[in-house]
Amino acid sequence: MLAAFLLLAGLLQGSASPVTVSAAVSLTEALEDVAAAYRAAGGPQVAFNFAGSNVLARQIVNGAPVDVFISADEAQMEVVARAGLIAGGTRADVAGNTLVLVADARTSIRTLADLGNAEVRRIAIGDPAAVPAGAYARTYLEDIGLWQRLEPKIVPTTNVRAALTAVQNGSASAAFVYATDARVAPALKVVATIAGARAPRIVYPACVVRTSRQPAAAAAFVNFLRGSVAAAILARHGFAPPAAR
Amino acid sequence: MNLWQITSFTLMAALAATLLMLPFGLLLAWVLARGQFRGRVLLDTLVSLPLVMPPVATGLLLLMLFAPRGPIGALLARVGIEVVFTRKAVVLAMAIMALPLFVRTARAGFEQVERRYEAVAATLGAPPWRVFLTVSLPLAAPSLIAATVLGFARSIGEFGATIVIAGSIPGSTRTLAVAIYSFAETGNDRAAVVLVAVSAAIAFAALWISTALAPGSGVRR
Repeated sequence: MLAAFLLLAGLLQGSASPVTVSAAVSLTEALEDVAAAYRAAGGPQVAFNFAGSNVLARQIVNGAPVDVFISADEAQMEVVARAGLIAGGTRADVAGNTLVLVADARTSIRTLADLGNAEVRRIAIGDPAAVPAGAYARTYLEDIGLWQRLEPKIVPTTNVRAALTAVQNGSASAAFVYATDARVAPALKVVATIAGARAPRIVYPACVVRTSRQPAAAAAFVNFLRGSVAAAILARHGFAPPAAR
Repeated sequence: MNLWQITSFTLMAALAATLLMLPFGLLLAWVLARGQFRGRVLLDTLVSLPLVMPPVATGLLLLMLFAPRGPIGALLARVGIEVVFTRKAVVLAMAIMALPLFVRTARAGFEQVERRYEAVAATLGAPPWRVFLTVSLPLAAPSLIAATVLGFARSIGEFGATIVIAGSIPGSTRTLAVAIYSFAETGNDRAAVVLVAVSAAIAFAALWISTALAPGSGVRR
């Protein structure tokens, strides 16, 4: 009985509490490598919670015990800011990215305009109402005047990786994802890279959450993210350096 | 948000799913209640699996089977049928999740039918299908109706498997449960709360009916 209680207590408590980082799902592989490097450099254990930035922002606003938040866009960081939950002076951009259009390797899609063709049945994007990758995609498609024509084909997904998966298993003909996501799915083809004056400016802002119980450890991890070791890891995974404001 | 569209689609899909699983469910419940054969426990376990497996796992299994690259999905694609991200996927997910609940309840109903009535019918020359239709089915009817309502209610609440295989496409595959999730995670709390109220009302009504109809509920029939 006592043993069972101790086991339960141990399970619930965990050992030394790690720094909890809620991060945009597109950062998954890169941040796991950063955390390993952080450990190797003598830093504490980091526990990740990966999901669509909008889901993470909602969790934080509702009081989830999170130390660091890394969003895939400004809009979701603003959700946390409006709730007064960014620890003063800790907000900083840590990476940049590019939007790409991916499709199956055997696809007939050659350009963005081909998305209007009849054989393109479904286009997966993160839910444009909140998922950053979807919001970027929608804004861009509106800017170039394609959104209205493509909207009936849009399948909104809960995060950017779910859009990628939909193309991988053949449920969608194409998806708008980040260039870094496309690298995780080498079987898919990058049909177009969104560049030019109308291309969305994609940044990943990070912050320490004001209610963190270990603000110093959290700030240390954010600083590490902005340092040269993390920058090299992020670059290796295809992320751009954060653009100067 | 189109409250009426979401609600009516959810009700229609749940109805379709209930009708779809009903023949299979009746057969399974009957076989499990009365059949004497090897592998009965195995069949019982398999049918009940979706009840205890994480719904997301069930959804993933369905996705792997029905995706255009999956074994069943590839066959269906050849005859021009798409399942994933369509309304068919919603009905499929609901039916699979409702089946075990129906079978367990209906089976208990069949088990409560006195065997001697069935035996008498059989000695009077009725073949098994006729015994089933004219004796077992009417005698178990209250349980079967309760089981059907329960399956229907479970369909309405289905979320985990649906979000995986049908997605959350507004005006198409978005059911009450999926819409609540989508609205909540995109910050549209007001819409989410309205839908929570609607689904609570439907669930309440369905459970009320199911309980009132179940044998031994004390309600006069």
